[in-house]
Amino acid sequence: MKRIILPILAMFFVGNIIAQQDLKPSKTQFMIRGYGSAGFQSLNDEGEKESSFNSGTFAPIMLFKFSDKFMFETEMEFAYENGELETALEYADVMYILNDYMTIRAGKFLLPFGTFMERLHPSWINKLSSVPLGFGHDGIVPSSGVGVELRGTFTVSGSKFNYAVYSTNGPKLNDGSMDPDEAGILHFDNYEDNNKNKSLGGRIGYLPFTDSSTEIGFSFLNSKVGNTESDYEKIGAKLIAYDFSFIKKVNPLAGIIDIKAQYNKSLVDDAEYFEPLDGGGFEEYTFNNTSNSFYAQLSYKPTMSASNFLKNIELVGRYSELNTPEGAEWESNVKQTAFGINYWLSWRSALKVNYQITDGTGGHGGGGIDKKLFTIQWAFGI
Amino acid sequence: MKTFKIVSIIGFIGFATISCSPERAAIVQGKSGVQLWSETCMRCHNTPSPADFNDADWSTIEMHMRVRANLTADESKKIFDFLRSAN
Ligand code: HEC
Repeated sequence: MKRIILPILAMFFVGNIIAQQDLKPSKTQFMIRGYGSAGFQSLNDEGEKESSFNSGTFAPIMLFKFSDKFMFETEMEFAYENGELETALEYADVMYILNDYMTIRAGKFLLPFGTFMERLHPSWINKLSSVPLGFGHDGIVPSSGVGVELRGTFTVSGSKFNYAVYSTNGPKLNDGSMDPDEAGILHFDNYEDNNKNKSLGGRIGYLPFTDSSTEIGFSFLNSKVGNTESDYEKIGAKLIAYDFSFIKKVNPLAGIIDIKAQYNKSLVDDAEYFEPLDGGGFEEYTFNNTSNSFYAQLSYKPTMSASNFLKNIELVGRYSELNTPEGAEWESNVKQTAFGINYWLSWRSALKVNYQITDGTGGHGGGGIDKKLFTIQWAFGI
Repeated sequence: MKTFKIVSIIGFIGFATISCSPERAAIVQGKSGVQLWSETCMRCHNTPSPADFNDADWSTIEMHMRVRANLTADESKKIFDFLRSAN
């Protein structure tokens, strides 16, 4: 994969430089944007301390605009982990504006399941250096999907609505045959479908006020998740999310108040799973496969301050929690509180100083979780 | 849970009906590009200034953001016309 991606990337960079030297305006527009981050972290995991610098990630985004209606977007992610360069294709999709109210997208795209993954996760947008519990690795929420989507927006007498409906390969159930510890977990990164059933999902967002300060949204995703011709073929999953956003310049507070929240719930049909016993053989068990997660974040930026320094400071607090099914091998109940002070160097670059406390039960070790993490991250958009 | 769902659906429809009125439609229609720019972009990230990009780049960004942020055709035209006129 790397062997293919790196030369392609080099070609694009060179192409871009050549294109810029050619001063005639071109109908096809091409742009490289993206973001990256670098940082330092100090972790106290139940008394065991470790600290390290990390090179973070670099995620170039390429945008090709072929006409006023037709565009291609792609994002790759490069991260240096355990001494190796990891690459991932975050998204690669074409979009075509059908009319003022509807756009079609196809390919691998970020899913409008709630708002965090689609709108807020890039490091220069996310106000903290971590993602809330329930998202990302070990999350219960999909971030992208391969399929097609119709999305758009319309106004009804001054109130704005936006919508998206999509069909993708959908989540895949880990039936535990390969890794019994993960029996019942949903995996979302499926380039190839594991069954004939396609998932159906969507989101509706509503902005009640004329200043667009507030948005509430509801999302769903329904799919069969078991492998074809397995005992799990008929197992289905229903995911829902509610999201909320409020952002406004508040004059008495001389700054911007920003509130974001999302609640996610995942319901997977009951199924029988097998646990290998020490002396050989298996034990059959089942559990109520329901998970949920929630986060709420409040931030304040004194943009109207007379001091140039204070103007660029931002204070953030976030609470999140994740509850995975009782009786599952991956049962957990975790809570997390994170605080941050950010200094914005530009509209797309911030120095974030965060302190995060995570506690609860479960996780990979199965015991208690008690982690305190201090991080400094420099996030930048390019 | 069921009652909660029904109440929230009825509440949502009621709220939506009250908040939709012809006067409000006129307010939205009458907004200028500058005003929409200062209200809209900050919904997700800090607001970029007109000088951050040239005209060609703004038009690529226009399409990207129009789709990603579900901007109405009218909103995105006004905002990005303003950004291109002021850079
Ligand atoms: C609904 C959320 C949302 C709103 C509203 C929004 N943006 Fe964005 N914007 C994003 C996201 C998400 C990205 C990052 C794209 C990515 O990483 O895939 C982005 C990226 C950008 C970029 C970087 C270049 C690019 O296209 O990726 C620019 C410039 C930008 N936005 C300008 C604007 C302007 C101007 C407005 C106001 C009209 C605006 N945005 C409104 C979500 C939003």
